[in-house]
Amino acid sequence: MAAPSAPTASATPIRVPVAAWLIVAFALLAVFVLLQLNSTAFAEQIHEFTHDGRHALGVPCH
Amino acid sequence: MASLTLGAVLRRAALAGLFAGVAAALIAFLVVEPRIDDALAIEAARSTSDEEPLFGRTTQVFGGMVAAAAVAVCLALVVGVVFARVRHRLPATTDFGRAALLAFLGFTTVALLPALKYPANPPGVGDPDTVTERTVQYLTLIAAAAAVTWLAFLVHDRLSARPWPPAYRAAVGVAVAAVGYTALLMTWPASPDSVPADIPAALLWDFRLASLAELATLWTVFGLGFGLLLTPRPVPAAAVA
Ligand SMILES: [Zn+2]
Repeated sequence: MAAPSAPTASATPIRVPVAAWLIVAFALLAVFVLLQLNSTAFAEQIHEFTHDGRHALGVPCH
Repeated sequence: MASLTLGAVLRRAALAGLFAGVAAALIAFLVVEPRIDDALAIEAARSTSDEEPLFGRTTQVFGGMVAAAAVAVCLALVVGVVFARVRHRLPATTDFGRAALLAFLGFTTVALLPALKYPANPPGVGDPDTVTERTVQYLTLIAAAAAVTWLAFLVHDRLSARPWPPAYRAAVGVAVAAVGYTALLMTWPASPDSVPADIPAALLWDFRLASLAELATLWTVFGLGFGLLLTPRPVPAAAVA
């Protein structure tokens, strides 16, 4: 973003270190493991445990 | 609130996510589970296999509620970081307004849009052989929807350099998002599955509404809770004097 534009309201920017995006990556990975894993033996345990949640949240399944 | 730190934002987001997860789990139990039971009865009537399930139904109902709560907290942390990053550029005058706006965008991007293209199905509808293909369709659509939302935000943000009334900028931002979402819905491939003949249309419709109710509950409670937790408490009159 070359030209920083004037903020639309008077909120001060919050400092977000690069490490914060690790939290984002970790959280997305956790969601993936909870809802998306399909075929390994370990995945089968999680898949079966969260199975109702997976369907309820609209994730593709059987 | 003097100046908000990332840690303070994330703590509030996580707590709001927990509230949202509990609310979503409650809707799952009260509204979604009865529909799942109906679908499982149809699946059992087909009786193509007699293999023992890994977990009993009680465990799975509980597991579904745990999953909803855990997913809500994870999504809350993602939104928390994004909130911290874009807070000063969001078109609202209070943190409550900013949090509500971001939660609305989150719901539209990762819940409503994929639900329109690939509506939720109860057990016994999807073909196990196409699950990988359907997962790729679903996840790429969400990624593309996130890109459209980001683009609409950037366009709106760039326009704030111009002396336009805020309503004009908002209209352009919404138009960019609407055109982008429509283009995605038209270009993404249809699901390869067709619905089995023994699944009643009414069950499918009720399940899809129930699923959307759970997702809407999750995002609404999160947005309101996050916004309220970010709202500074009024200073007692005694402290002012
Ligand atoms: Zn399934």
